[in-house]
Amino acid sequence: MVRSAAYRIAFVSSIAFALATLLLGAAVYYAAHTALERQMDAGIEQASSALESEFREDGIDGIREAMAQRASRTPVSLGYALFDPSGRRIAGGMDLPRPDTGWRRIRFLDPREGPDPARALVTALPDGYRLVVAADLAPLEAIDRTILAIFGVAFVALIGIGLLGTLMLGGYLRRRLLRIERTAAAIAGGDLTPRMELGPSDDEFDRVAASLNAMLDRIESLVVSIRQVTSDLAHDLRTPLARLRNQLELLRERATDSANTELAENAVERADEVLRMFEAILRISELREGNLRHRFEAVDLGTLVEELGEMHAPIAEDEDRSLSWEAQRGCVVRGDRELIAQALINLIENALCHTPPGSHIVLRASCDERMVTACVADNGAGIAPEDRERVLERFVRLESSRTKPGHGLGLSLVKAIADAHGAAVEMRDASPGLEIHLRFPRRQDS
Amino acid sequence: MRILVAEDEADTARFVSDCLQEQGHDVLIAPTGPEALHSGLTENVDLLILDRMLPGLDGLTVLRRLRAGDVKAPAIMLTALGRIEQRIEGLDAGADDYLVKPFALGELLARVNALARRAASVDVVTHLVAGSIEMDILRREVRRDGRPVLLQPREFRVLEELMRHPGEFVTRAMLLERVWDFHFDPQTKIVETHMSRLRAKLNDGGLPDVIETVRAVGYRIRNG
Repeated sequence: MVRSAAYRIAFVSSIAFALATLLLGAAVYYAAHTALERQMDAGIEQASSALESEFREDGIDGIREAMAQRASRTPVSLGYALFDPSGRRIAGGMDLPRPDTGWRRIRFLDPREGPDPARALVTALPDGYRLVVAADLAPLEAIDRTILAIFGVAFVALIGIGLLGTLMLGGYLRRRLLRIERTAAAIAGGDLTPRMELGPSDDEFDRVAASLNAMLDRIESLVVSIRQVTSDLAHDLRTPLARLRNQLELLRERATDSANTELAENAVERADEVLRMFEAILRISELREGNLRHRFEAVDLGTLVEELGEMHAPIAEDEDRSLSWEAQRGCVVRGDRELIAQALINLIENALCHTPPGSHIVLRASCDERMVTACVADNGAGIAPEDRERVLERFVRLESSRTKPGHGLGLSLVKAIADAHGAAVEMRDASPGLEIHLRFPRRQDS
Repeated sequence: MRILVAEDEADTARFVSDCLQEQGHDVLIAPTGPEALHSGLTENVDLLILDRMLPGLDGLTVLRRLRAGDVKAPAIMLTALGRIEQRIEGLDAGADDYLVKPFALGELLARVNALARRAASVDVVTHLVAGSIEMDILRREVRRDGRPVLLQPREFRVLEELMRHPGEFVTRAMLLERVWDFHFDPQTKIVETHMSRLRAKLNDGGLPDVIETVRAVGYRIRNG
């Protein structure tokens, strides 16, 4: 999930929403709290100044009466207390010790609820008297709690909904993208035919898919025309080249001295090399065109591996390498014996060509219920993992082996033959060395 | 030998007939299918070389009709391209051999000679002799100057192919087809390697070489 942009985007946006809600909550809380507090302070100030003027005008009795009057009003919103110069409470219902003057946060003893916090304005009156007007903070705190509760619930709900949304959106994006990804992987795997699925909604994904499809059509037509040009070229050049070869052959027969015979022989061999190369190109394009399946028959890979092993052991020996084979019984595939033989021969040749002297090569045929595998393994230098895919492309020869002979078509032909059989070519590190597996689907007997 | 060459490409036809005539054969050229059918049925020919793609009537049909008309002369089918399937169709239609165009002339001549010899010897041969070498096919024994030579099965088959056509070239492609059943060129040294081992065994003890190699043509065993 960490590596999914869809999940990441959805997750980050839901976190952002949650933080925004949190910020909004804080602002609402602060604004409401401040407004209520101001309102409360104004009420306290007003009451204080009213009582103070009563005191100034009518003395102790006046203020006492006014306080009693105010206290009896319902609903009771403010509490009062009057202290004499000695610090004794002489009037008011609030039970508390004498506080200092100014705005104070005090605790008084509520006869019903016990000690209660309150906001109080303590005013010094003439002659050392002191007036306390206080408002109970409980309603304000209740409102604060309500606001906090509302936003707390909203925040949690938002996180929850956000996570759910993240999962759903991420899952949706992933599903849409996965289809494109799968198709692209199939195409990268060498099959140029699949196309992106187009949905009915013509949304962004469908439009991207459509333009990818257009791009793929173009690529496919280019690849097809390159293949066509290559095979046409090979085909068209073959006939004149064969005539040239035949004339060189006549020249060789008519040569009168050994030097000329040798020259003509060399020329014929060079021409044969080019002809063989063209043949390989044509064979690859013939395989790519398909239509071979209908003449496939049962081929016993075990027998084939034994034949090829016997055939190549002397060649390996002549080239200072050794070759052995292991064939399991009953490894039968549907295919063309000669084509499979050619693929395996190319792999053997490749192993002989790209291993140091003294190397050992093993041919293997094995099978289980699902797959039949032919394998050519060596204990040579191997191929770097990043080069493996490239090796199967036509004409690609790895840099380090450029000095050795070969036209670089061998492994492409192997790939084309495998494709024609629905088989996979897999390269594995045999540490040391390379194993190339041809994995055929088990023959479906009807 | 009278050879019918049914080939519509004038260049190829002339070239083939020149070479066959040089080898002492009598060549009839038919540029179309109907002409090939007519010549095949009326002229007494010993060998047919038929292009698969002939105007008027394709090579396969010509061959089928000739076979139906009881013409038993061996036939070589020439096919364009390396189409693997066409080989099988050609052989099914009654061809004895086939060659993919463009072909090397040496290849064609070797196959013509091989077929000519096969047509001549109808009997099943079990004992072959070429110069100082004797081969008993049934007992799978080879002797040189009466002394046994031990060969691997494939080496035996290679030698057998050479000894069935003593004095004539057997090409690499023919050996691949007949000994290994490969109708393609695997582009490896299979033939060369087996040939060199066969030679080493035959010439063991410093005897003169009996197999002649001509580069880019093939091998032949000396007949004397």
